[in-house]
Amino acid sequence: MKQLSDLEFLKLSKGQKFGYKLGRFFTGIPRAILNFFLKIWGFLKKCGVSIGRECADIVSTFIHGDWKTKTSFFIMGFGNLARGQILRGLLFLLFEIVFIGFMVISGGYWLSMLPTLGKVGPSKEYNELLDVYVTKYNDNSFQILLYGVLTIFFIIAFIYTWRVNVKQNRIAEKILATGKKLKSGKEDLHSIVDDQFHKTLLALPMTGIIMFTVLPILFMILVAFTNYDGTHNGYTNSLFTWVGLDNFNTMLSWSGGSGGAQSYAATFGEVLIWTLIWAFFATFTNYFLGMFVAMAINKKGIRFKKGWRTILVLTIAIPQFISLLYVSKMFAKNGIINGFLMDMGWITQAIDFFGDPSKPWLARITVILINIWIGIPYLMLITTGILMNIPADLYESAKIDGASGWQQYRKITLPYMLFVTGPYLLTSFTGNMNNFNVIYLLTGGAPTNAAASSASGNVGYTDLLITWLFKITTGAESKYYLASVIGILVFIVVALISLVVYNLLPSIKNEEDFR
Amino acid sequence: MSETTAKRHMGLKTSRAITNTTIHIVLIVISIIWLIPFVCIVLQSFRVENTGQVGYVIPKVWGTANYSNLFQTDFPRWYTNTFIAALVTAVLQTVIVLCMSYTLSRFRFKMRQPLMRFMLILGMFPGMLSMIILYRVLKDLGLTQENATPGLILVYIASSGMGYYVSKGFFDTIPMSLDEAARIDGATRAQILYKIILPLSKPIVIYTILTAFMGPWGDFVFARYIAFGASAGKNVAVGLYDWLSRDQISNNYTMFCSGGVLVALPVTILFMFLQKYYVEGVTGGAVKG
Amino acid sequence: MASVKLTDVKKIYDNKVTAVHDFNLEIKDKEFVVFVGPSGCGKSTTLRMVAGLEDISEGTLEIDGEVVNDLQPKDRDIAMVFQNYALYPHMTVYDNIAFSLRLKKVPEDEVYERVTNAAQILGITEYLTRKPRALSGGQRQRVAIGRAMVRNAKVFLMDEPLSNLDAKLRNQMRAEIILLRQKLDTTFIYVTHDQTEAMTLGDRIVIMKDGYIEQVGTPQEVFDTPVNLFVAGFIGSPQMNFLKAKLLQEGSGYSVEILGAKIPLNEDQNAVLKGKNIGSQDIILGVRPEHTTVLFDRADNAIECTINVNEMMGSELHLHLSSANDDRIIVRLPTVDLTKEQRNSLAYGSRMYITFPAKVMHLFDPETERSLIDG
Repeated sequence: MKQLSDLEFLKLSKGQKFGYKLGRFFTGIPRAILNFFLKIWGFLKKCGVSIGRECADIVSTFIHGDWKTKTSFFIMGFGNLARGQILRGLLFLLFEIVFIGFMVISGGYWLSMLPTLGKVGPSKEYNELLDVYVTKYNDNSFQILLYGVLTIFFIIAFIYTWRVNVKQNRIAEKILATGKKLKSGKEDLHSIVDDQFHKTLLALPMTGIIMFTVLPILFMILVAFTNYDGTHNGYTNSLFTWVGLDNFNTMLSWSGGSGGAQSYAATFGEVLIWTLIWAFFATFTNYFLGMFVAMAINKKGIRFKKGWRTILVLTIAIPQFISLLYVSKMFAKNGIINGFLMDMGWITQAIDFFGDPSKPWLARITVILINIWIGIPYLMLITTGILMNIPADLYESAKIDGASGWQQYRKITLPYMLFVTGPYLLTSFTGNMNNFNVIYLLTGGAPTNAAASSASGNVGYTDLLITWLFKITTGAESKYYLASVIGILVFIVVALISLVVYNLLPSIKNEEDFR
Repeated sequence: MSETTAKRHMGLKTSRAITNTTIHIVLIVISIIWLIPFVCIVLQSFRVENTGQVGYVIPKVWGTANYSNLFQTDFPRWYTNTFIAALVTAVLQTVIVLCMSYTLSRFRFKMRQPLMRFMLILGMFPGMLSMIILYRVLKDLGLTQENATPGLILVYIASSGMGYYVSKGFFDTIPMSLDEAARIDGATRAQILYKIILPLSKPIVIYTILTAFMGPWGDFVFARYIAFGASAGKNVAVGLYDWLSRDQISNNYTMFCSGGVLVALPVTILFMFLQKYYVEGVTGGAVKG
Repeated sequence: MASVKLTDVKKIYDNKVTAVHDFNLEIKDKEFVVFVGPSGCGKSTTLRMVAGLEDISEGTLEIDGEVVNDLQPKDRDIAMVFQNYALYPHMTVYDNIAFSLRLKKVPEDEVYERVTNAAQILGITEYLTRKPRALSGGQRQRVAIGRAMVRNAKVFLMDEPLSNLDAKLRNQMRAEIILLRQKLDTTFIYVTHDQTEAMTLGDRIVIMKDGYIEQVGTPQEVFDTPVNLFVAGFIGSPQMNFLKAKLLQEGSGYSVEILGAKIPLNEDQNAVLKGKNIGSQDIILGVRPEHTTVLFDRADNAIECTINVNEMMGSELHLHLSSANDDRIIVRLPTVDLTKEQRNSLAYGSRMYITFPAKVMHLFDPETERSLIDG
């Protein structure tokens, strides 16, 4: 779509302006995607260049370095030790010894097993003494995969440390050549609370994140390419192994299974669409209603402002599982809601809010409504703070210009709120897509979607991708590989949405930036 | 003043009065809706004529049996598990979050931007996936089932560095010139942290402790996965959830209510005292994104 | 007490933007040097490089003959006052001032001695137990200065210390800084965007623009002999007038022709121009408002102008005029000598005639914007 100049744009009617913006938005998508891949390409290119530069630097360090430097290429920390930096040298040396020791003792084994994930499964062996067959456990695919990945991490860490070791030698030579002194061990120790303090502070949190977030995610991505499930648990029943892209083919193929079962792709699509609908409504109903409640409380002339706020805020304090479980029981067939409605004589038969497969939308709408109950206090809190930050003179000038209350909301409050809370809305949307607790504790995914369940697991009409994923891992079959595939697809959806919202919108405004 | 303008002035006043009354009524209705479940849960915890679910709210026979019966079950154990987890998590998670957010707010090192982007991307993976592997690893370490609590604590605090956004947003509002002045005055980075920044960050420290403390009380899915049916390893959320399962609900429904009240009580009281800081943290955090 | 020497100092940011280009300056012991320029000219960056708050990308910085490029701020023996005071909000005034001494583990009774001493000089003794929040802007500024004072540093750095104060307080604090400087008797580097501050405080002024030094000199030098259009326009208030004119070489002498008026240059000017071998050319003529004579009647070599605005400042009038060339001109006219008739004739649209002697004229090349005579 052709870009208009500012003056041309201003001449358009309201509808045309909207159409123009919409058109620009959609015609911008391919460019944004292209731009994204260009960025990735640029990043890879930069990586390649810097790796090349590093290699060149290593070689030149070796060629031009003195004998201390050269020895350090093989015995890490030698240069430091020889130049009097005992502490650093010892640390380097220790790391090398530990690394070599690890590789010899077990690292090599894990690496060698990684391509097959184990060769010998559990076997029955006859025990003559007891006259019974006992199971002998051999290779453990799970451990091989896990420790294989860990070993690779370790190797990368070693290469990095080795590189630092080489670099330090070169720097040390340079410093000594200019007649200055090297840092002593005492100065090194001091620098970890001063100019290198950020490394000290990050060490613990990053170790935790790498071990308990990065590593598991990497592991589960790899699982998506294996046949790891309840019947192939890799140790006690049978090994699992690499299956390439088979799982993705299964998940994304439209042809159904045996016996007229629904295809995975159809089930996935169904659940995905509900997940998006849920995320949309859960985010925006809460957002707008929370904002209205906040505005009502903020309004001049309303009494007990603090009281209203406290009532709502206190509901945040109560652990969610209590309120969710309790509310879900309130909506049960024999729960309080049905009891109340029957007492009032409005209904004669109890409504099965979450159990009736013929009324999927009843369950879905109820869930969204209950989520409003959960979310409003929180949103009320957030929006209160921001609403109070809107400069009062904006409203005053709008009043003098003759804006009604609704117009003030439309033209001042809402644009301001959307601008300030834009990033929050995005995280809230993706958070709701993965809102396990609300769905699982309220309905557990019910009512059951028989058609979709024929594909796999016990899929219900209110199941989100994340609860479906969970069910797959806990069922009798425990198809971990499928769960991993779903997890990866969830990531792709979330990343895509974030990418569009983050990049596309600003890029339309400043499109000169990437021309 | 002419008659029409007088009318207009009257109109303004009365219409304002009408809107305000309406809003007051709406707020009362909202408050009732929001409080009803909690009132119900308290009332039902004192209902002793029947342990199952019923369609009415006011107990026919009042009593404290549901509370005393709790002590015949594993509930005290679950409570202790959760309390310990909450306490330890509150301390360690706060330390880690503050380290992380202070660093990302105050230092300009080469890897800062990539690191933040990396963590943003990490956050897009459903955390649920990691459970499978973490469960197997913790099992190998002997930290599941009866020993689930230490395992849970480990997992809670290990990834807590990812939740740095809110406190980083707060640190960002403290002017950099304070750090600079302190550096010129001769303070090391560590001294700046505990002599200047931390004393100024009381609200956010309390907020971090409070949220870290509240987290374990509500954690359900992972706790259930790790406890794996072993009653001694459950936390309150898992234990109470199981009481509402189909075969147990008729016996344990009222006990669920009394247990729920006991769980909600300490957290709510704590929250009431520290409400101010919570509000500050939440409102500040949302704006910074 | 020390000298500061910057040699080819450069600041290049990560995004390859160069904020400071080849900065060369030698500051003598106990000298008061002011960096002045519009915002974004690199003056604060330079100061922060001296302080050690910004890395020096290239070049060397010496304090007292020692290269300090790689030293931490605390090891450079400098003190600094920040624009927004940067007082620690959770500490009392006393603790604020004592902070650096305590970090150095100075004995507590000596801390007391030095803090109270500084407080006395600055007149803030009665506020020592208060928190900064409870102080006014001027008092906070004093505390910030006190905090810098007690360190007995070799170099005293000030980054726009007065710009957060209102006009009246600013004048007052300016005078106090002059007094303080006499008491402290140390090397000062002072950054400001306000040329009045620069002129009144500095022994020498460094005028900067876009990361380059435009001119270094005493206040008198930069006022009398600005080397280019920028400095000429930046120093002095109201701003110097710039008029389109022609330089004519006639035999052995030069003269400036503007709108029919022809003003011969004096001997010194002739000598310089001849030395530089400059012929007839277009020029921009600079004349300060206070150097212009206003005539009410037509005269030889006077330029006819029309009055646009007449600003009454009390002791003088500022007249905004425009010439037939459409140059905008401001002149200052003392009110003491004006008759009532003359005042009445200064209405919008009426005609005036201005003239000025050769010695107050500044001649600039329109291409290079450099002064033809000075520098």
